[in-house]
Amino acid sequence: MKTQPSLVPGEVHLPWGRLSRLVAHISHASEVRFTNCALHASRFTICSVVMALSLVFHVNASSGASPSFADRVIEHRLANGLTVLMVERHQIPVVSINITFAVGGINEQVGQTGIAHLYEHMAFKGTRIVGTTDYEKEKPILDELAIVGTELDQREREVAAKEGGALADDRTAVESLQKRFLALQAQAAQYVVGNEMALMYQRHGGVGLNASTGKDLTRYMISLPSNRLPLWAAIESDRMANPVLREFYKERGVVMEERRLRNDDSPNGLLFETFTSAAFRAHGYGIPTIGWGSDILSLTPAATEAFFKTYYGPNRATIALVGDINPQETIALIERTFGRIPAAPPAPSLVTVEPEQRGERRVEVEFDAEPAIVIGYHKPTLGHPDDDVCDVIDAVLSDGLTSRLHQKLVREKRLAVSVGSDASHPGVRAPNLFIITATPLAPHTTAEVESAIYEEVERLKQEPVSAQELEKVLNNLDADLVRGLRSNSGLASQLALYQALAGDWRYILTSRDKVAKVTAADVQRVAAQYFTRSNRTVAVLVKKSLSKSVTAMSGNEVQP
Amino acid sequence: MRTVKGCGIAGLLGLAILVASASTVNAGEPTLGDPRAMTFPPVEFSPPEPERVVLENGLVVYLLEDHELPLVSVTATMRTGSWLDPTDKIGLASMTGAVMRTGGGGKWSAEQVDEELERFAGDLSIGIGRQAGSASLDVLSKDLDRGLDIFAGLIRQPAFESARLELAKLQAIEGIRRRQDNPGSIVGREFAKMLYGPAHPSARESSIESIKRLTRDDLVAFHGTTIHPNGMILGVTGDFKKADMLASLRKVFGDWQKGVVPALKISDVLERERARPVVSYVDKDTSQTHLRVGHLSIKESDPDYVALAIANDILGGSSFRSRLFNDVRTKRGLAYSVGSRLSVGMHDQGVWLMRAETKLVSTQEVIGRFVANIERMRSELVTDQELAEAKEAYVNSFVFSFASSSAIVGRLVELEYDGLPKNFLQQLRDKVMKLKKEDVLAAAKKHLRPDRLKIMAVGSGEALPKALSTFGEVNEIKLGPEG
Repeated sequence: MKTQPSLVPGEVHLPWGRLSRLVAHISHASEVRFTNCALHASRFTICSVVMALSLVFHVNASSGASPSFADRVIEHRLANGLTVLMVERHQIPVVSINITFAVGGINEQVGQTGIAHLYEHMAFKGTRIVGTTDYEKEKPILDELAIVGTELDQREREVAAKEGGALADDRTAVESLQKRFLALQAQAAQYVVGNEMALMYQRHGGVGLNASTGKDLTRYMISLPSNRLPLWAAIESDRMANPVLREFYKERGVVMEERRLRNDDSPNGLLFETFTSAAFRAHGYGIPTIGWGSDILSLTPAATEAFFKTYYGPNRATIALVGDINPQETIALIERTFGRIPAAPPAPSLVTVEPEQRGERRVEVEFDAEPAIVIGYHKPTLGHPDDDVCDVIDAVLSDGLTSRLHQKLVREKRLAVSVGSDASHPGVRAPNLFIITATPLAPHTTAEVESAIYEEVERLKQEPVSAQELEKVLNNLDADLVRGLRSNSGLASQLALYQALAGDWRYILTSRDKVAKVTAADVQRVAAQYFTRSNRTVAVLVKKSLSKSVTAMSGNEVQP
Repeated sequence: MRTVKGCGIAGLLGLAILVASASTVNAGEPTLGDPRAMTFPPVEFSPPEPERVVLENGLVVYLLEDHELPLVSVTATMRTGSWLDPTDKIGLASMTGAVMRTGGGGKWSAEQVDEELERFAGDLSIGIGRQAGSASLDVLSKDLDRGLDIFAGLIRQPAFESARLELAKLQAIEGIRRRQDNPGSIVGREFAKMLYGPAHPSARESSIESIKRLTRDDLVAFHGTTIHPNGMILGVTGDFKKADMLASLRKVFGDWQKGVVPALKISDVLERERARPVVSYVDKDTSQTHLRVGHLSIKESDPDYVALAIANDILGGSSFRSRLFNDVRTKRGLAYSVGSRLSVGMHDQGVWLMRAETKLVSTQEVIGRFVANIERMRSELVTDQELAEAKEAYVNSFVFSFASSSAIVGRLVELEYDGLPKNFLQQLRDKVMKLKKEDVLAAAKKHLRPDRLKIMAVGSGEALPKALSTFGEVNEIKLGPEG
């Protein structure tokens, strides 16, 4: 759902792509990826970007989809708790595989934000076999490097905290640590076979190798010619059991650049970061998945390894395979590879609950960019009946050219150039937000857009939605469900997603039926209950005023 | 820059049976085997062959039945494009495409089109890019006739309702006002203008003035003179019977009269401009320097294309496997997104570029690594291993070019649009397999030119021009509020 900035003249650059229904963690503002595949796409390389399909497949007899589809999903559970979902599809000799771990930003502790995402990057660095020429010789160097690096980070923080007051001794100590650190890093580098795992996949025809970290989940994907499945099993079971965090400090630098690219230099990235952290004051949903910069820079190899050990057991993983596979052989292969990995002890449960919001919160972000606005309301999440009602409201408000917000704000009043909504920001494992976004059309202001949005929100409370609107929502949901079956990678993604989030991939089907039962009265009730002033957070992107320098320059005053 | 068409060499390589380096299979290995030692037999796959039919009025149709899901997809590729924009009305083609979609057509008003499509969940898009127009329809097969009626109505007789045109103009103007918001957008557009020149059809941009000037009559005329059945190629895939589909298409498109189709021709940039190295920057308050470094390159028909494409793949085109990724990202930790790209087509000079975003203080180092890596490509043979890896990745991933019926048909449509022979794919494939290290070196020497580098940087502070000055005389580009 990410839209690359388009370069077609005259085309409007929409700051938000169409936000997907239900699939909250795919919401672009909260998800970060290992590599921005699209940026490397060329006419020469094949680069299949795994798409965030808007939810769904469903098998609704009335829509004419193969009614037996649900029967085609084969489930298998290993003794160590690993869940395997498979769909056979033999038209083309390829297979798409999605491994989803029930871990994400939501599992992080204060001071270690960004660790889930940093680990996801480190998971590409290899194992005791892959990515090294000699692990036995490499290991002691990596151990020492971790100790020196951690001490260096700490000393540097201390010196920085003293600002000008740091003693010459402190600085000398830092310098000597730096020297030692660089020497060890160079020694360790001798044993590294850079990106070897990715290289093996590519040599064997793998495409779409990537990973993403969200608030709720961390996901690893690849598509391969189907006879390469044993290669996949060897690589991935090794990576699930024995990752080695080599090149740690360099990768931390890469992640810092990713943070600058996505959040610091992107007006909408920064707007969403600020908005979400204003809406959640206690719960981890308020923390950007990529982490705060200062936290990223203080993450250590030891903490990252501990995070892996706590959250990456096979018992927290779902593997979905869709394509040209033989389920019996696939199960046997997975049993003799992943089956050898011991289950991890239960991870600590999530503790913090967001306290009830008692009054509107408003924040501003200044940026050298044109204005935009995000409005969010706290609401319950997946599993609560009101969540399904919010999905319907989401579609009624912003799905398509005939949706209410588009008709009113874009077409009739011409206040906004684009509008959007999302019923599950920024995740679904905990109570979340219903958000509405809009980009004003100059000279109209965010204030005008905001009050027009509230008119539509009030209308939801005052008048029942029409039968036609509800019918349209369901028709589009059913069609999306069928379209979601088109690609192997999309289907694998959906199956693993709902298995990991809802505990059962069939949630895709049951949620459709719940949406079908939503009534006009439900919509009115839910809108009245959650869409209130005191329950909302509003973030506004404000054009950074250049007026200071303009004023200074006026009156023919020339600055030196 | 123009849009890069989504078809790679790998995609162009025809309906071949795939061959890989291969011998034994380790599938029976009872332990966690060493993945490095595994080998596999080649993937054998013969993709289905679409059928090509030409209607009496010259409309070309590719058809491929696929009954797995109850869906039908129709695409139309049209011989039009913004290269035809009059110089005082830049944005006309794009606007015409946008309002063909939103302004009603055939027997349908704009509002009826929206209502009807969304009632039965049909997806319909129309757009005109630099070198082609494209439209697509995606419907459940039960709604095919309803969908086709609207689709044909909008393509053949767009109504361009005034209110929708007015809205589209306001939106286009807002888009222009927001062009300078994102450094990534600025650097891409400024780099294209730097390569082709700001008035060239491959780089020029609309302005608020040029959009304001557009009238409904302009759109009607542009549509009438450039969109004809004999300039259109349809690609149809999904759940239908071929004979029924052809009858349905004849019903909605059959009585459309032929017209004079514009012959796509885009002039080359003067050699003097092409050869001139330039270093420029845009001052914007950012935390990173957003970089594009490269120059104009060859067309797809160039005999060196395959060798250059492989050179680029090894240099920076292949993500994880490439030298730039390993050097700048993995070893130095200086960028999240780094690589090179060779974008070539048949109709204008291609672009070869390297890109990265890096914190201000690493700007000079990153550009330095770019230059060092080109020099290495030009002075040393690539290793046997690098070339083997590039070939294997290409051959083994080949099957993904046929991952869907629409991909198979789409590729044939593109080849025909570009005037390339159907066996062009086969030709490229043979060349890749025969490629030698010496060919790669020769292509790199000839076509990767450090003496011609154009460097565009978007970043902040006085340190940026200083960092850039190592690479030539630095010019600042001052952006107007609308670029």
